[in-house]
Amino acid sequence: MACYGMVKALLAQGIKIDLVLPTKEPVYFPMREVSDVDTLPAVFLDPLLQREYTRHSFLTVQDRLEYIGISSEPQSYFSLKELRRYANKVRDQYWMQEIVSTEEQELWDQMTMNLIGEEDLMRKVQEYTLRADRFARTLEYDLIHAHDWLTYPSGMLAKQISKKPLVVHIHATEFDRAGGPGDERVHKIEHAGMTYADKVIAVSKYTAQMIMSRYRIDTGKIRIIHNAFSLPTDTKMTKERIFKGPTVLFLGRITLQKGPDYYLEVAEKVLKVHPEARFIIAGTGDMSRHLLRKSAAMRLKNRFLFTGFLNRKQVECILRAADIYVLPSVSEPFGISPLEAMAFGITSIISKQSGVAEVVNHAFKIDYWDVDLWAETINHLIENPDNCQKMGIEAMHEVNRIQWDEAAEKIRHLYSGVLAEYIRRPQF
Amino acid sequence: MLNIIFYFQVHQPYRLDHFNVLDIGKNRDIFDDRLNGLVMRKVAEKCYLPTNKLLLELINKCEGRFKIAYSITGTAIEQFKLYSPETLDSFKRLVDTGCVELLGETYYHSLSFLYDTNEFLDQVAMHRDLMQKEFGYYTTSFRNTELIYQDRLSDLIYEVEGFNTIVTEGVDRILQWRTPLYAYKNYSKDITLLLKYYQLADDIAFRFSNRDWPEYPLTVPKFVSWIDHLTLAEKGDKNLFLNLFMDYETFGEHQWAESGIFDFMREFPQEVLKKPHLGFATPKDAAELSNYQQEALSFPEAVSWADEERDLSAWLENDMQRNAIETLYELFAKVKQKGDPELLRIARMLSTSDHFYYMCAKYFQDGDVHKYFSPYDSPDQAYTYFITALAELEERIID
Repeated sequence: MACYGMVKALLAQGIKIDLVLPTKEPVYFPMREVSDVDTLPAVFLDPLLQREYTRHSFLTVQDRLEYIGISSEPQSYFSLKELRRYANKVRDQYWMQEIVSTEEQELWDQMTMNLIGEEDLMRKVQEYTLRADRFARTLEYDLIHAHDWLTYPSGMLAKQISKKPLVVHIHATEFDRAGGPGDERVHKIEHAGMTYADKVIAVSKYTAQMIMSRYRIDTGKIRIIHNAFSLPTDTKMTKERIFKGPTVLFLGRITLQKGPDYYLEVAEKVLKVHPEARFIIAGTGDMSRHLLRKSAAMRLKNRFLFTGFLNRKQVECILRAADIYVLPSVSEPFGISPLEAMAFGITSIISKQSGVAEVVNHAFKIDYWDVDLWAETINHLIENPDNCQKMGIEAMHEVNRIQWDEAAEKIRHLYSGVLAEYIRRPQF
Repeated sequence: MLNIIFYFQVHQPYRLDHFNVLDIGKNRDIFDDRLNGLVMRKVAEKCYLPTNKLLLELINKCEGRFKIAYSITGTAIEQFKLYSPETLDSFKRLVDTGCVELLGETYYHSLSFLYDTNEFLDQVAMHRDLMQKEFGYYTTSFRNTELIYQDRLSDLIYEVEGFNTIVTEGVDRILQWRTPLYAYKNYSKDITLLLKYYQLADDIAFRFSNRDWPEYPLTVPKFVSWIDHLTLAEKGDKNLFLNLFMDYETFGEHQWAESGIFDFMREFPQEVLKKPHLGFATPKDAAELSNYQQEALSFPEAVSWADEERDLSAWLENDMQRNAIETLYELFAKVKQKGDPELLRIARMLSTSDHFYYMCAKYFQDGDVHKYFSPYDSPDQAYTYFITALAELEERIID
């Protein structure tokens, strides 16, 4: 979502972009006009493949993307099919036949997933990096902009080959994702990428702090450019309730970083005072099952509900039904989804440990661990629906001002600075 | 004399649709009519119709000496009418022979006995009315959902006019050194108890087609010789009862036709009736036939016929099951207060025990059985749909 908004706004600034994504086929997406972000024109590096590709006709953009081999789900870098095939192969082993409990089975699945998943991810990064060589030589460009660690090795390679400046963009560090130290290899790659880059963009002060204190990156290289949010123009935003009682929403991956277990605790506290409230958790993730079972163990009845994975349209439906939005992230470099909730006029409560807290005023900001305060705040909002609604409307007005154009303007400015420096640098 | 009592459980639940939070308040159907119709037609074709036909032939051929008993749930009858009316007709023809006993139970095959006594008695009354209406049959023997039994159940059933016998599982921890072959009394000696002889019943129901079973293949002469052997336990002339209770779907559905289950059943009655000291009876005959003082048995804890534990753990072992069922019975009070018959009907359809069975996440072999019967990918999924459906029901109650 961040990528879509940013590219679109940069195009509006007159910047031309060749998007190189982790696709199965060696293609890139030349972005020249604003409308290109929706049509996604693609070019194959190999002229033969390109000819074959142009001969194909596709019914939907989705079909075309599938042909190119890019997954519509950005979170998964490895293919589920591959994983399943491997898992089945393992399951056929005689020693796996004896495993009968679902709990045990899950441990095995987790193990196999990590066994091949991790390696697969690293291998994909390797492949992507090797391929960057060709892109770096073939495409014409003035500047390289790499987003998050998966692309840092290719960014470095491109810089080395082309002698063009490199900007790296930190959307999240391994510390945020892991909710702990995380994978050391990733840290090393992150560190190398940031050090090798000419400029480092952090999506928030929170992230900039992290880059300085944990990665020891030269402060002079870091620029903070906050993310923004623009609703697609065709979005239907009128309120359409699902529940008659107050509805609290958690929207995001159900994973440690996002603090879903704190949400559960808050729900329990609120439901003791307001049993008429409903708590929705929208999304999936590695903690889904844990949370589902824990909510049952806590006897939250039919007051704590899971939607499972939601597509774009369904996300809009659930936003239209919510009164209060919460983001109790343990560590959130930015966090665009509260902006979306605010755009729908929903009162939001966000973790102080998030970048988004730096850019909005009309939202409650609470330490993720302060569950009592979360509960009190929600109770207050339930008991004062007028206040809640007023806050929501103010939030909507505020978020409408946080547009990508402003962020794109800053990025363009940064680009010119970097390029100016490059022109001035001594030639060897 | 040893009397073989065949009792078959005939039941189909209303399976839930994949009900999502976003479906709430849209007046969408909670139940998966398409799947329910599909299952009913499939089971009718593979099991109900061929087995009914076979048993009718056998009853006619044996001239009253071959008898069987059924418990047919209300949800099964309703779905016969919707998806397989010819099945209902064939059951009626069986009942008309006079050699078939129908047992009483809860209309919705529910666990209401454990959670809501009034609801339980309502569902028992509804089922009796249904048997009366559909078959002109007045039930006098009772079996609770999945043979769940506890002393308190006999108290409740004794209070309902007309019931004098209850069938349940022959659980080892209750019987201890005793044999399930005798008719017993409940703890207060008011009601006759018949206990399932699970070893032999499960030979047919679970092991019949299992090639790893040392006794495979199970032939009629072999099975009859085992039964014959049991009569040696009783040297006097006391009447014994061999209670073979099982799912009716054993025939043709759990055990496929190719396994030879139909051929087994076709030969079985005649082979039994060749022996002068073996015969068939139904539960209601037991009280009269028992020519001895029936010993009283106390069941302080609930038992059932499910899983190896033979307790309530198939439905009420984990937190998902408990949260779901507790929430449901809390809603019952609100539904009844509201007085909307359609909502009450939905709550009752949700009370069917199968919903909780699907949420079972137990280890070892039983997990396989649960999986076999479940229309969902995982217990978590079953729970999610159910709890979401309960939210839908609650929203419909709130004005």
